[in-house]
Amino acid sequence: MTVPGDRVADVCIVGVGAVGGILAKELARAGLDVVGFERGPALQRSDYAARDSIKFTVRQNQLEWVRHDPVMHRRGRDARASLRYTTSPANALGGALLHWTGQASRFLPGDFRVFTNEVASGLADRAGADLTGYDITDWPVSYEDLEPYYERFEWEFGVSGKAGVNPFEGKRRDYPLPPLRRSARGELFAAACQRLGYHPFDSPAGILSQPYRPPEPYDTRIPERPACVYCGHCNYYGCHVHAKAATLYTAIPAAVETGRFDLRTRSRAFRITTDFSGRATGVAYFDPEGQIREQRARVVILAAFVYENVRLLLLSGPEGASARRGLANSSGMVGRCILAHGDVRAAGVFDDAIINGFIGPGSAAVRIDDFNGNNFDHTGLGFIRGATIGTSGGGTPVERFDVLPPDVPRWGRDFKEFFARAYTRTFELNMQAETLPHPENRIDLDPRRKDAWGVPLPRVTFAFHENEARLRRFLADVGRRIMEETGASHVWTDVKASPNRWAGGTRMGDDPARSVVNSYCQAHDVPNLFVVGSSDFPTMAGYPPTCTIAALAYRTAEYIARQRELFR
Amino acid sequence: MTARTSRRSTSTQNPHERREGRALTRGERVTLAAIAERIFPATDTPGAVDAGAVEYIEIALAGAYASLRARYRRALREIDLHARQTSGRAFRELDGAGQDRILTDLEAGALSAVKNGADFFRLVRQHVLEGIFGDPQYGGNRDLVGWRIVGFPGQRTGYADAYINRVVDLPPIAADDTSAP
Repeated sequence: MTVPGDRVADVCIVGVGAVGGILAKELARAGLDVVGFERGPALQRSDYAARDSIKFTVRQNQLEWVRHDPVMHRRGRDARASLRYTTSPANALGGALLHWTGQASRFLPGDFRVFTNEVASGLADRAGADLTGYDITDWPVSYEDLEPYYERFEWEFGVSGKAGVNPFEGKRRDYPLPPLRRSARGELFAAACQRLGYHPFDSPAGILSQPYRPPEPYDTRIPERPACVYCGHCNYYGCHVHAKAATLYTAIPAAVETGRFDLRTRSRAFRITTDFSGRATGVAYFDPEGQIREQRARVVILAAFVYENVRLLLLSGPEGASARRGLANSSGMVGRCILAHGDVRAAGVFDDAIINGFIGPGSAAVRIDDFNGNNFDHTGLGFIRGATIGTSGGGTPVERFDVLPPDVPRWGRDFKEFFARAYTRTFELNMQAETLPHPENRIDLDPRRKDAWGVPLPRVTFAFHENEARLRRFLADVGRRIMEETGASHVWTDVKASPNRWAGGTRMGDDPARSVVNSYCQAHDVPNLFVVGSSDFPTMAGYPPTCTIAALAYRTAEYIARQRELFR
Repeated sequence: MTARTSRRSTSTQNPHERREGRALTRGERVTLAAIAERIFPATDTPGAVDAGAVEYIEIALAGAYASLRARYRRALREIDLHARQTSGRAFRELDGAGQDRILTDLEAGALSAVKNGADFFRLVRQHVLEGIFGDPQYGGNRDLVGWRIVGFPGQRTGYADAYINRVVDLPPIAADDTSAP
C-alpha cells in the first residue's frame, strides 16, 4: 500500500552522505524545505569509532552499514556474477566520509580535458596508445569552474596541506591547516624521490593537523573539532576524536539545526515518481517498518553512491527492457562508462629502518605527481594518462599478514620469522592508475538477485582494457625504481588489484545524446531531477574522487537555490 | 615438532560428540590445533595454540562464522581420515614434516581426499592468523602475544612524535584496557 505524504517538499535528497550532507545544509540554509532519505542508520560514535580491527577490517561484510546492500560483480558479459559486500558506499548517515582514508586531493586542471589534450591533440597517437572501444569526452566544467567550490570544501571541513609544493597543482589559495606530521615512510620516499629528480610533497589530507573551526567568510556555524592524535585507526574506521572530515558531525547537524531539514534514516528510496510530462514528482520509499510510502517534492536529487544513483534511475521511469529503459536515459548512457582505479603497488621491506606504519593516518602521505595525468612525456609509451604515487601501508597486524614478497612462504616457521620482523619495517607505494571510460564497463540491474526489500541488486560489469594494462605495467616499473632508491632490501610489485574507487554511470556533458546530466548535475531529460556524485564523472583522474564530488555538491546547491522557477 | 595443546581436555566422553557451546568435536579440535600449530609454530615465541587461535576459531564458528562450521567439520575429518589411510596415524600424531607434507598438498589443491582443499587451506590459514593477530576480545591473541611477536603496541588512542621511526617500546594494550592513555 502506498501512503502518499500530504506535504510537498521543495527538495528531496536520496542518500545523506558526503554529497547529501552538503546539499542538505546549503539548500536548507537557502530557505528551502528539504527532506533527506538515508537507507542506513544514524550511527553513534561507539558504533563507528571503536578500536577493533576484527570488526572494521576482517569482518566488515557483517557491519550494519555493509551487510544489507551487496552488489553483484562480474568481469565481463560472459562471466558469472558474484555477490560482493562493499564498504564503499557505507550505508549509514554520513556515508563513506565516516571511514575514508582522507586523501583530499583536487583533480589536476588537465583531468577535465582528456579528449582535447590527449586525443584531439594527437598526443595519444604519438604515445602509440590503443584507445579502441573507449568513449573519451571532456568534462563540461573546468578546473577553474570548480576551484571556488574545492576551496569551500577545504575550508569548511578543514583540509591539511601546503600549496605551492606540488608543481603540477592548479591555481589555488593555501590550505587552512599545515600538513599532517610526516611519517617515517614519507621521509624515506621523499628523500628517494628528490634523488631521482621528482617533486615530492606532503599530501593534502581531510584530517585536522590542528584544532579547527571554519573562519569567515566560510561557514562559521560548523563547530570546532580537535586535531588528529595519530592513532592509526583510519581507513575503514570512524575517527574517535572527529579529526577526520565527515558530514556526520559537521554539515548534517548544521542542516538539522535550520529546522528545514527533515531527515529520515532507515528509509530506502526505490523509485523516483514521475508525472505524465516526465517530470519528477517525488520519491517512493520503504519506511523503517518496511511500509511503502511516497514523498512528493518539487526537485529530486540523487546523492547516493555510483551503484545506487544508477540503480534508482534504472528502477524509475517507463518499464521495459530496452537499452534506454529507466528515467533520464534517452542517451542510453545510464550505467555506462563506469570508471575506477586499477591500483598498482610497489612494496619494500627494510633491514634496519623502522617504519611503524600503524602510526598515523594513511592520508599523512608523501606523494609525487610526476607520473600523474598528462604531467610526463608519453611519447612511445603505448598509453595515455597516469596516477599519483604516494606512500601507503598502515594497519594493525591482522591487516598486514598478507603483505609478503612472493618468495616468502605464506605459513610455517619461515613465514612467522619473516612477519615478526617485517611488520614494523615494511611500506608500500600506492599508485591510483585511472581507467578510461568504456561503454562495456557498466552497471545494470541483476536479472535474478534481489535485496531483502525485493528490489533488484545493482550488477557491475567491469574489465580493465588495454590502456590500463599498459599503464599499470609502466607504473609498477616506476614504483620498483623508487622503492629500490629508498634502500629497501626486498622490493616487489603487484598489478593485480581489483578495481577500486568507483565513478561514472550518470556521465555529465553538454551533449544530451552522449550524457545523462549537464554541468550542474541536472538531468538533460528531467529538469527537476539532479544526480550528484562521482557517478557524474566523464573521466577518472589519478586521484580519489572525494574533493571533486564535494565541489560538485556545493556548485549544484548554489545553482538549485537560484533556480526559483523550479519551486513554483 | 608435534602440535602442542596447552589445555588438555579432561572430558572422558566420546571424542566424536560435540560438547555444548562448542563448534567442533574434540577430535576435530585436536586436528585443527595441529594444523594451526604448523601454520604458526611455537619457536622461541608462542605458536598458534598458545596464542588462542583455536579458541578464536571455535567461538567464531559458533557465531560470526557459523555458516562455515559444516565446512570446517567436514574438512577436518577428511584431513584426519587421509592421514590415517596413508600413514596409519591420526593427523595430530604425525611429526611436523609429515603434517607439513599433507598441508602443502592441501594448499596446492592436490589432496583429492578433501573437497575444495585449496580453498579450505586459505580459509583456515586466514582464520588462524586472525586468531593470533586480532583483538583479544574475540578469544584469540591471548595475553596480546600476537602483537608482542611483531612489535605492535596495541590499540592505542594516539602516538607521540618520538615513536615515528624507531621501535615502539610500549607494552601492548587492548582497546578495552582502562589503563590506556
